[in-house]
Amino acid sequence: MEKLIRDILKESKQKYSEITAVKWLKKKEILSKSYSELMEQVTKVRKGLLAEGFQEKHIALIGTSSVEWIESYLGIITGKTVAVPLDAGLPAEDLIDLINRSDSEALFLSPKNKSLLDGILAECPKLKKIWLLQEEALEASDEKVTSLAELKAASENSGCDSDRPDPEDVATIIFTSGTTGKSKGVMLTQNNLASNVEAVNYTAEPGSVLLSVLPIHHAFCLVMDWLKGFSLGATVCINDSLLHMVKNMGVFKPDVMLMVPMMIETIYKRLAAADPSIPKKILADHVFGGNLKIIFTGGAHLDPYYIDRFAEYGVEVLEGYGMSECSPVISSNTPEDHKAGSIGRPLSNVEIAFENGEILVKGSSVMKGYYHMPEETAETLKDDWLHTGDKGYLDEDGFLYINGRVKNLIILSNGENISPEEIENKLALGALVGEVIVTGEDHGLTARIYPDQDVVAAKNLDEAAIQTGLQAFLDQYNKNQPTYRQITGLVVRKYPFIRNSTKKIKRQEALIDEPITAAANQ
Amino acid sequence: MTQEMQFKNIVAQYCKTAPEEMTNDMRFREDLGFSSLDFMSFLGELEDTFDIELEEGDAVQVLTIGEALELLERLQEEA
Repeated sequence: MEKLIRDILKESKQKYSEITAVKWLKKKEILSKSYSELMEQVTKVRKGLLAEGFQEKHIALIGTSSVEWIESYLGIITGKTVAVPLDAGLPAEDLIDLINRSDSEALFLSPKNKSLLDGILAECPKLKKIWLLQEEALEASDEKVTSLAELKAASENSGCDSDRPDPEDVATIIFTSGTTGKSKGVMLTQNNLASNVEAVNYTAEPGSVLLSVLPIHHAFCLVMDWLKGFSLGATVCINDSLLHMVKNMGVFKPDVMLMVPMMIETIYKRLAAADPSIPKKILADHVFGGNLKIIFTGGAHLDPYYIDRFAEYGVEVLEGYGMSECSPVISSNTPEDHKAGSIGRPLSNVEIAFENGEILVKGSSVMKGYYHMPEETAETLKDDWLHTGDKGYLDEDGFLYINGRVKNLIILSNGENISPEEIENKLALGALVGEVIVTGEDHGLTARIYPDQDVVAAKNLDEAAIQTGLQAFLDQYNKNQPTYRQITGLVVRKYPFIRNSTKKIKRQEALIDEPITAAANQ
Repeated sequence: MTQEMQFKNIVAQYCKTAPEEMTNDMRFREDLGFSSLDFMSFLGELEDTFDIELEEGDAVQVLTIGEALELLERLQEEA
């Protein structure tokens, strides 16, 4: 019989009952819960959802990593309910759109994001209930807005437990950037998640410490930090803020961490800037906390340079490859079997093929499809083969490599996939913006703008005034965006973009800024 | 060492600009090439070095060296 996440967690509760499952900081104090304590709370959430009538419904979560968030997520996916984790950093209008598009009927909301409440209540008509992710009962609960504590209390009055989900039931919907500018809800089944957890070839001693620093709404964090970590009996520690990532390595002293390349690059800057007379071992203990042996990385390409540099400090960096659509890991280097520059061998539960150089993936981790997007699903999933949008090859030893992109997505070194069209549509609303193309420059996004000549003429603007006006517009845009969607570079063009015969801008020639000839514009 | 110099030495860890060449109107991401995570890590170092507590939401609105210095001074006064 195929396993469910519920089975994996049940096994962990039995095997690791007294081991610490999760640690977090409250002010400066470290708090913790054992496996038996955590799973007891997960069961309460699951029973509470049943008691409140949410069987088979979609339930969204908005918040950064917290023990309340993870209890709620596990409570949802261990029952016959579907979890929809959302990026708490998105603007309110985007979150409202995703709650509505995912047909979510309930929401777990971090108290830090309480300011969203009024907008959500007004514009999400399907939502029947909102639970604030806090253990304290609300002073003024109403029928619609209450707290996690009250949901757990509801479970005690009922006692009934949710049926086991079917392995092919959707467990979670994770939103990912779409190439057409509209984010897509990746439907992952119970079996997708459980098989990915089981197929990743990594073991650790129960009680090994893992510090979770990635955004919790991402599949890489959810499945590999949390679900995989719990399957191994690891102690997963919550990083309270990216401001404190390095400090928290000293606090929690992790053995292993998952990172995106941008994190590795930032930490390396701190190592490289240190006084060279400090012995590397002492510096490594100071920066990494003293126990860190392995960093798994994925989400974007890592320059192999960093693998060698980190090895000098006693830390092994192992690169992998995945995408939300594959739950997410497709291939990974492991401590026993690795090759620098490659993204490891494919997992045992996936098959790899190539079509015109594009990597295709088939297997038990491949998604069911995109939620309510049959056309996009048909374009991506053909005869059960998932078209990744990445170009690559397998070497003679069976290690996978990536050497290009097919799809028009920008992959930043923090692992975020950015749809340039989505941002261009917003920037095009600027009065001074005539034409705009967004390009990725590894660490950030650059807007290449051809100013609206009518506005320039009407206001009699010179070059400096155009630059100032456009920068002010971008600053305003950036204020409402999460950091990874902010524009950090501006190029003011002298000439319009080159267009093809259907008058679409030729994106691959966006860097050319020359007078347009009739021949070029075809 | 002045507080400003101490501050600029931290900035210099994340970029190729020397502390003495830094000006208040320089933008962290656009002019100094900070990644979003460099900036977060830098803010964390400011907290540790100057014993202040930053609100993440306010701090990420800071764009230039001058604005960050102003924020630092304001938080020290309030402490």
